[in-house]
Amino acid sequence: MSAVPRRGPLFWGSAAAGWALIGWGLRGALHHRIDTRPGQLARFLLGGALAHDLLLAPLVLLAGVALSRAVRGRWRAPVQAALFISGTLALFTYPELRGYGHGLRNPTSLPHDYAANLGLVVAAVVLGTAVTALVRGLLSASRR
Amino acid sequence: MVRSSRLTTVIGTYTTDPDLPLRQHAYQSPLRDERLAAWLGASLGVLFTTCFVTGLFSHLHQHPLSWLPVPARPAGLFRFTQGLHVASGIASLPVLVAKLWVVWPRFVSFPPGRRVADAVERLGILALVTGGIFMVFSGVANIAQWYPWRFSFTAAHYWTAWITIGALVAPVGAKGPIARPALFGAAPAAPVRGTPPVPRGRRKNRPALADADPALSTSAEGRHDGLDRRGFLLTVAAASGLLTLTTVGQTLPGFRRLALLAPRDPADRPVNRSARNAGVIDAAASPGYRLRVEGRVATPLTFTLDQLQSLPAHTAELPIACVEGWSYSARWTGVRLRDLLQMAGAPPGSAVHVESLEEHSPYRLSFVNHFQAGDADTLLATHLDGAVLSADHGYPLRLIGPGRPGVNQTKWVTRVVVV
Repeated sequence: MSAVPRRGPLFWGSAAAGWALIGWGLRGALHHRIDTRPGQLARFLLGGALAHDLLLAPLVLLAGVALSRAVRGRWRAPVQAALFISGTLALFTYPELRGYGHGLRNPTSLPHDYAANLGLVVAAVVLGTAVTALVRGLLSASRR
Repeated sequence: MVRSSRLTTVIGTYTTDPDLPLRQHAYQSPLRDERLAAWLGASLGVLFTTCFVTGLFSHLHQHPLSWLPVPARPAGLFRFTQGLHVASGIASLPVLVAKLWVVWPRFVSFPPGRRVADAVERLGILALVTGGIFMVFSGVANIAQWYPWRFSFTAAHYWTAWITIGALVAPVGAKGPIARPALFGAAPAAPVRGTPPVPRGRRKNRPALADADPALSTSAEGRHDGLDRRGFLLTVAAASGLLTLTTVGQTLPGFRRLALLAPRDPADRPVNRSARNAGVIDAAASPGYRLRVEGRVATPLTFTLDQLQSLPAHTAELPIACVEGWSYSARWTGVRLRDLLQMAGAPPGSAVHVESLEEHSPYRLSFVNHFQAGDADTLLATHLDGAVLSADHGYPLRLIGPGRPGVNQTKWVTRVVVV
């Protein structure tokens, strides 16, 4: 087993300052319990981390494994880039796609056709990454 | 005994060693290296800190402190800070996802801690991960007006922000010595006893993780298919940039045509709360509507809508800036608040409470400090862009003042109390 470095004043100083802020936040969340509903808030906090660890991260790992077997060579990088950008766009757009805001009957909320717009942006991403890959390929070929 | 060693092997296969930076056995992506983790962490630190500071400013508007009154000018300050708050929050989504992915093997390191310092560090990381995910998720859900919870969004978002920023500060001492050379290319720190020394002169100022940790067969610097470190960082930046480009038009007029994914369109003159949802349609349209000016005044006054409209009117071009990040500028016409206060004989430099016809809402009442109440452009408006206010925009009377959040531009005003 390897030896471990000692923790110095910077480690303990920043840990103390950080934990003081965390403590202030926890105190506030518990003190204003009528507004924050600490039990439910705690479920959302831990639920978010579990959703990431048990759902999103394994899905991304599986997608990565599939991608590494399906796409080889110089096309893998643009496919990875396009998938990452499109995936984060879709994550952001999810509540708009589901139209949850329409439940509040606010006529000015969610005014666009978000499925069509997301499709348009993703198409632009795919096109952009493909063009970038082709240009880079041509440039590197001309250098040889 | 056999079972125990098999268990150890399984644990060793799918977990990482907490003593070594990002040591991984089962997670051999070439992109999980220190330099990438440091750049993503620093970017996230800048974005979260921007969100925190601008969020505190918004909180100060909504929960005013008597010893720290917010100035009315510049008129577009809140529009800028809140637009920045929401844009930074949206831009942080890809960075957060990327950072979590890069450091994910660290979350499954085993054993989780061998000393008090390990436990402190890992608890801080837990607070950062849970807080960071919650802040981005709740913010994105809120601007799309999705509320899958029963707590108050503002209270939960505010207090969790303190937890998250604290969790960002706490690991500075632990991560700083690793991140500094990774970020700025300084000479690598002395190797930890037990790990092989870093070969000098291999590639100036660029310690490869494979040098620090032989468990890795590849690093982001080696040749491999797929994105390299720079490509991955550019991809994350492109995702953040594209999200910004397709949403920021909800507050920046020059980008409106590109705001394909924005939850609001400023051209629609959006509102946060409709008259129907506020339950004020009948009261606002009632012929019995009155505005009362009272409290610490020499002469309490009562006005009908006709009487208000016969008073000298003033027009001001002011932004309305929602806490959800959208904003637009418009021409508002109405009576100056300070003229009404003067008519009622309020002491100079008075602050007021403005009350709405709306009954059951935390925003039925707003505080207007002495800077804002005395400003020439703080109006009780009856018209928007030359037309009588619609019910959703606050008919018959709404408050509009420079530099105030939209939730504090109280609609359906019925009472002004000098405090």
